[in-house]
Amino acid sequence: MSPELERCSRNLLICEKSNFRDERARYDIHVSKHFFNYKLSMVIPECASLPACIAGVIQTFSSYYRVRDLPVYKFLQEDILQKVVKNGHFYALSYNTRIDEDNTIAFLPSGHLIMSVNKDTYEQLGLEGKPSQYTHRKVQRYVVNVDLTDKSMTPGAKTYQRLITSLKEWVPLKSDFLISMKMTAEDDGGALQTLLSQYSFEEYRPTLQTHTLKETPCPSLHSSNLHGDEKSCDAHRFLEWLGAVSMDISCNNEASSFLSTYVCPEPWSSMSQGLLCTVTGFLIPEDIHSLLLELRHYFDQPKFTSWLSITVHGFADSPVSWGMTEHGFLKGGENFYNFVCFENQDYWLHMATGSHDGCPP
Amino acid sequence: MEDLAAFERLVCKNASDFHYMKICLVLEKGRRNVEAAQFKQLMISGLRQLYGEVGAALPFDVLKFDPSTLTGMVRVCNSSLVKLWSAITLIGSYQNELCAFRVTQVSPFLIALSGNSRKLELD
Amino acid sequence: MVRFKSRYLLCEVCVENRSSLLLLEEKSIYLAVKAAVARAHGDYGSALLIVSYAVKYVNAHTGIVLIRCRKSHYRIICSALPFINSLENRGQKVPCFLNCLHVGGTIRTCQKFLVKYSTQQLHRMLPQCKNEAERDEVRSAVLSCSLGKERDVEEDEMEDDWEDE
Repeated sequence: MSPELERCSRNLLICEKSNFRDERARYDIHVSKHFFNYKLSMVIPECASLPACIAGVIQTFSSYYRVRDLPVYKFLQEDILQKVVKNGHFYALSYNTRIDEDNTIAFLPSGHLIMSVNKDTYEQLGLEGKPSQYTHRKVQRYVVNVDLTDKSMTPGAKTYQRLITSLKEWVPLKSDFLISMKMTAEDDGGALQTLLSQYSFEEYRPTLQTHTLKETPCPSLHSSNLHGDEKSCDAHRFLEWLGAVSMDISCNNEASSFLSTYVCPEPWSSMSQGLLCTVTGFLIPEDIHSLLLELRHYFDQPKFTSWLSITVHGFADSPVSWGMTEHGFLKGGENFYNFVCFENQDYWLHMATGSHDGCPP
Repeated sequence: MEDLAAFERLVCKNASDFHYMKICLVLEKGRRNVEAAQFKQLMISGLRQLYGEVGAALPFDVLKFDPSTLTGMVRVCNSSLVKLWSAITLIGSYQNELCAFRVTQVSPFLIALSGNSRKLELD
Repeated sequence: MVRFKSRYLLCEVCVENRSSLLLLEEKSIYLAVKAAVARAHGDYGSALLIVSYAVKYVNAHTGIVLIRCRKSHYRIICSALPFINSLENRGQKVPCFLNCLHVGGTIRTCQKFLVKYSTQQLHRMLPQCKNEAERDEVRSAVLSCSLGKERDVEEDEMEDDWEDE
C-alpha cells in the first residue's frame, strides 16, 4: 500500500563454516578483532551444571576498572603511553556515553585512539579526522583516529605535542572509562594502578550467571549444512531460537494463539535439560579466546549433545565493531558473533551487525 | 584422519524476516495489573486508530510479557515494523489513563535483545 | 514543468431501485468515501487522502461518479471503495455499492472510456428488451452514438495530459 512505510534499514549476517583444526581457519582473528565485549552467553544442551574446567577459565577472566572523570590526555602521558597503552593488551572505552549523542572515546590494543565526537568538539579540537560514514547530508559527527604507535606520536614530537595541547587545553575531554588489561609476565599493571589511584575508581569482576533449561525444544543441527533445509534449520531461525532460550520465551505456541505464534524451528528434538550461562562485564578478546579453546575440549569426552553455542555481544556504543570498522547506533547498534562448536571440531561462526556498521571481516 | 569441513562463507543482507522490539508500557498512575492479552489489544487498538482495519490486521507476536515491569518482547514482520512503531508511539491513553509506550531496543536479531550494554549497571 | 499528478476514478453507483439514484449528491459521496477510507486505513489513510481529494462529477441519472485523488496513493481509495455499502442523503440511507470502472490519468481519458463503456452497455441491453418500443429506443440510441463515434475515430487515442487544475 505505502512502500515508504515498508522499508527497513539494512542488517548484515555473515555465516562461516570451517574446522578448528584447519590452519586456514580465521576464527581467532575474528575473536581478537572484536575488541569491546559486553556479554557472552553459552548454551550447552544436555548439561546440568557448568563443567569445572569451563568455570575455571571464567574465574581467570581479567578484572576491569571503572574510573570516573578521567581526562583523556592522562592516557597520553609518556610513561602511561609506553607501559600501558602501547603494550598490546590495553582496552579502554568511555562508559555511559552514547555513540549517537555524546563524545565516545576508545583505546584499542593496537595502540589506536579513536574519538567519535560531535561537530562542535571536533572543530574545537583541531585534530585531523574524517566525517562519520553514517551522517546525513549535513555532517554532525566526526571520527578522529590517532595511531599512537606512529613515529610522529613519540613524546616530544610535534604532532604529539599538538594532540596533548588540544586534549589538555583546548578541549579538556574527560569521561568515565571502562578499562581492562591483560596482565603479562613482564608487566603487572603497576603503571596503570598509579594512574587509576589519582582518580576515584572501582574494580569489578565479570559476573557469572547460570540457568538450567528444562524440557525445551531444541533444533537439530548438522555441521555440514550451513544453509538450512529440511534436515537442519537456517542461521536466522537458529539465532532466533537462541534468543528465545536466553530470554526464557516460550517455544510451544499454538498456531491459533492470539498472543504469539512463535515455535521452535523444524526439525527439533526435545532437550531434557540444558545449561544457559552468561558472563557480563567488560570482557577482553584474550579471555574469550581462552574460553573458546576450553570449549573445544568439551567434546574430548563423549557427550549427549553434538553441539554447543557461545554468543558474544559487543557494546552498542563502541565507536568500532570489528577492527577499526566504524560502528554506529541507528536503531539497535547490535554487533555480536556466535560460535556453534560441533563434536567433530567443525564450527559455525555467525557475525551480525546492524545498519550503521561495515561488513564484518 | 577425516576430511576437514570445507570453508564456506555466506553473506546474508537483510535476510531476517522479522524485527524484534522490546517495549515498555508506562502508565501515569504507576503500576497496575495489565495482562499480556490486554497489552497486545492496546497495541492493536493503536494500529486501528492510525492505520485502520488494514493496520489492525497486521500480524505480530508478543513473545513474552512481564506484568511486573509491563515490558514485552514483540516480533513483527520487517514490512510492518514502521507501522507498528509509529502506531504505538501515538497511543496516549489506556482505559482513560494517560500512558506511553517506550521502545527500549529494536533489532533484527532476537538474541541482540537479551542484553543491553546501555543498561550495564555498575556500583 | 512540474505539476501534481492525479488519478481519476470512474465509478458506478449500483442501487437496487434506480429511482433512488436521483437522491445522489456530491456531498454524500464525498463523505461516504472519506468514512470508508478512515475505517480501512485509519488516520494515516485519511490524511493522505485529504490532499487533492475531490468528487469532480456526479450524474444522478446514470449513477456515474468521478473522484479525483493524488496519483501516489490512489490505491488507498481503491481498496476502501468496496467497503461502502450505503450512501446517506438528507437522512435517507440508500443501500448501494460502488463499482470502480476505470482509473485514468485525466478526466478526458475517463470520459472516452465512459463513452465506450456506455456503448457496450447499450449493445448488451438490446437482447434483453421486452417489447418492440423498447427495442426501437435502444436501437436508435446505438445508432446515434455509433454515428458520433465515426467522427471521433480520427482523433488520436493517445492519453494526453490535459488537466483541469
